[in-house]
Amino acid sequence: MIKIVKRDQPSKTIFFFTPVLAIFLTLVAGGLIFYILGFKPFEALKFFFIVPIADKYGLSELLLKATPLCLIAIGLSFCFKSNNWNIGAEGQLTFGAIVSGGVALLFYDQEGFYILPLVILSGAIGGMIYASIPAILKTYFNTNEILVSLMLVYVSKLILDYLVVGPWSNPEGFNFPETRQFSDSARLPLLFEGLRIHTGIFLALAAVVISWFVFYKTYLGFQMKVSGFSLKTAKYAGYKGKKMIILVFLISGACAGLAGVGEITGPIGQLHREVSPDYGFTAIIVAFLGRLHPVGIIFASLVVAITYLGAETAQIFMQIPKYTGQVFQGMILFFLLASDYLLYFKFKFIDSKK
Amino acid sequence: MNTNLKISNVTKIYPGCVANDNVSLEFNSGKIYALLGENGAGKSTLVKILSGVVIPDEGKIYLNENILKLNSPSDAKKNDIGMVFQHFNLFETLSVFENLIIDSDEKRESLREKIDTIMKKYNFSIDLDIPVLNLSAGQKQKVEIIRCLIRSPKVLIMDEPTSVLTEQETSELFLSLKKFSEEGILIIYITHKLKEVMQLCDEVAVMRRGKLVSVSQIKNENLESLANKMVGQDLKIIKKKKENNSSEQLININNLNFTSEDPFETNLVDINFSVNRGECLGIAGISGNGQSELFQVLSGEIISNKNSIEFNKNYIGDLNPQERREYLMAFSPEDRLEQAAIPQMAIFENVALNNFKSSNFFNNGLINESKIKEHSKKIISDFNVNTDNIDLKSQFLSGGNLQKLIIGRELITSPDLLICFNPTWGLDVGAINYIHETLIKINEQNKSIILISTDTDELLKLSDKISVIHKGKLSKIMNAEEVTSEKLGILMGGGN
Repeated sequence: MIKIVKRDQPSKTIFFFTPVLAIFLTLVAGGLIFYILGFKPFEALKFFFIVPIADKYGLSELLLKATPLCLIAIGLSFCFKSNNWNIGAEGQLTFGAIVSGGVALLFYDQEGFYILPLVILSGAIGGMIYASIPAILKTYFNTNEILVSLMLVYVSKLILDYLVVGPWSNPEGFNFPETRQFSDSARLPLLFEGLRIHTGIFLALAAVVISWFVFYKTYLGFQMKVSGFSLKTAKYAGYKGKKMIILVFLISGACAGLAGVGEITGPIGQLHREVSPDYGFTAIIVAFLGRLHPVGIIFASLVVAITYLGAETAQIFMQIPKYTGQVFQGMILFFLLASDYLLYFKFKFIDSKK
Repeated sequence: MNTNLKISNVTKIYPGCVANDNVSLEFNSGKIYALLGENGAGKSTLVKILSGVVIPDEGKIYLNENILKLNSPSDAKKNDIGMVFQHFNLFETLSVFENLIIDSDEKRESLREKIDTIMKKYNFSIDLDIPVLNLSAGQKQKVEIIRCLIRSPKVLIMDEPTSVLTEQETSELFLSLKKFSEEGILIIYITHKLKEVMQLCDEVAVMRRGKLVSVSQIKNENLESLANKMVGQDLKIIKKKKENNSSEQLININNLNFTSEDPFETNLVDINFSVNRGECLGIAGISGNGQSELFQVLSGEIISNKNSIEFNKNYIGDLNPQERREYLMAFSPEDRLEQAAIPQMAIFENVALNNFKSSNFFNNGLINESKIKEHSKKIISDFNVNTDNIDLKSQFLSGGNLQKLIIGRELITSPDLLICFNPTWGLDVGAINYIHETLIKINEQNKSIILISTDTDELLKLSDKISVIHKGKLSKIMNAEEVTSEKLGILMGGGN
């Protein structure tokens, strides 16, 4: 007989093993789904996970998609580690894109070295402003941040919609729902000629290093950690717990805003309706798959980025609907949460005769 | 009719701990039995087995020679075993009567008659038609007892029933229990309070670490012999030398008021007191009378008027806890796991919660881990915390060790004043002794203590002066030598 027993202490090995297990189970289940749909499972998986990154262009695309995921997930890890459930990064990304896009449009016919820093800064600020709404409502009015941050996503998307169709639409654009092209001075420089990967990747890498440093090495990080575990303890220690909550939201909003900047000043170069293929939501999966640890998040963002690429490749070569990508993302989170059960419980084999 | 309850070779094993190790006991009606033991000795598990909440791994239970199958609490009820738990299981917003009839299928009218008879018989006076939330703790307990009596039980089990009662309510309870016993109800009384055992019971069974240590007649025992059996070693008797040589005032609370927006908190009204150097001021009271609010006002979690608190000739009423620590105050809150420490963090991280400028735990905004760890090792060895791994998450420390760590953390900076709130709540006798010794030592070093506690014995043992808090008001401050626990009991109940 198999009995499920609670562990005395969460296992450290299992802690790092479950993300790997989750990815493995996702592949197995994915293969099964392909099989049921009538595709050859191994071939489909190959088109999904190997073909897309088999060349230079593919690798560049992988990093291009991983950059915003990593950046947002790093920001979210601040929130999640301190028990603040900000799930509105998509909205913060969109609002960051709106604000920075607005600044970029101000300079659409100008060149100058100062334009790009201004655009980047305004994107971060836009994200912060948008994240401060759920934070302030949570700390001072006891609202639920999950609900508020999620609803604000749709608000921001509608604002963007209105702007690109209405006041900000390109006067020479034949009524297409998009703005003018930004000037070259407002664009993030490309890393290699002919590939789309751009210097935004350095923003993500900087975020990784800074977040690791802040969270593990500074007094500020320590206070955030304590406030996240218990506001009562934070108060007793003399920390400003409420300010800490607002701060983690601001950090998270800034990261999401920067991811928005990276998208519109990188591959897109203008504002239109679809600035993000739900990076803000997918980054939640990335954050948890990476165990909320900066290094883990780097790996997780690469894994999840493949599902975006694989979905496109599989659609082109095998006529598999590209929404399969989202199925894979969902499965990763599902299996991760399920295998987390092993963190706290273990199976024990018991002699059934007894 | 005689009732005989027999527990035979009962064993219950939890992962990592044997809660009951081959326990056999026999009870006969007409006597009151005490089941004595420290926290974690296995009393509660045994009681839960008797009430059907926990099913034993091995062993049998007999009632009047018949095997009992207790698979659920309703089995216990069917077999006439009644149980009053330490925490009340009452619906606060329902009336007393509704609470009493909620699990019965008898008709309302006949039940009402039955309840009236019971109340008359035992001299209980409770209005059956008011909501339970208006009752005092003692009255709520009576409701629980009546609920058992309705079923005319053969066995009545009381689990630590006096922890929320005043002295007067306790003696009323004891009278009732003696009456029940005379009427042939078998009473099993679970406690870790030795005095109560001596006062009330006829026979005592002592448990320690899951094992039954001894069964004996009360007349052959005394406080020391029981304490030694319970702890398993000879206990030092701690006594405080009550002398007061300093008259230098350290802290002075002046017209302090606190009005809360939260309806479940107590307002503090015109608090005035002062504490001299080397003195321990005890603040007694039944929990929920403003102790928590008073602690928070003193620690700075609740900020008050600047001039309302004068400490060492500085006005500090408007400072937060961290700023107050710089003036050499230290705080040990009631709630070890939710407030004083963070169970999910390592021991050394918990040490860093008490952060002074001079402790250098954080330099220029960076964590100075080696300094914190060095400090933590010192606390662990100076205060006998039973581990040598400061990277251990503090949730794996026992209550006693965690409290030692917290007190150690607060004291290692040698503060002038320690404010503690129920410092020994839920600890075993060994740990309580250690904490008491430590607190006495603080006074001997001419440092002061404000001890807010719901444990009257502890207050009488440690305090130089005592005041009682009732509904947010402090009584006048009395010298501890002139106070008796009866006097405290009256004040705690709101009398004069």
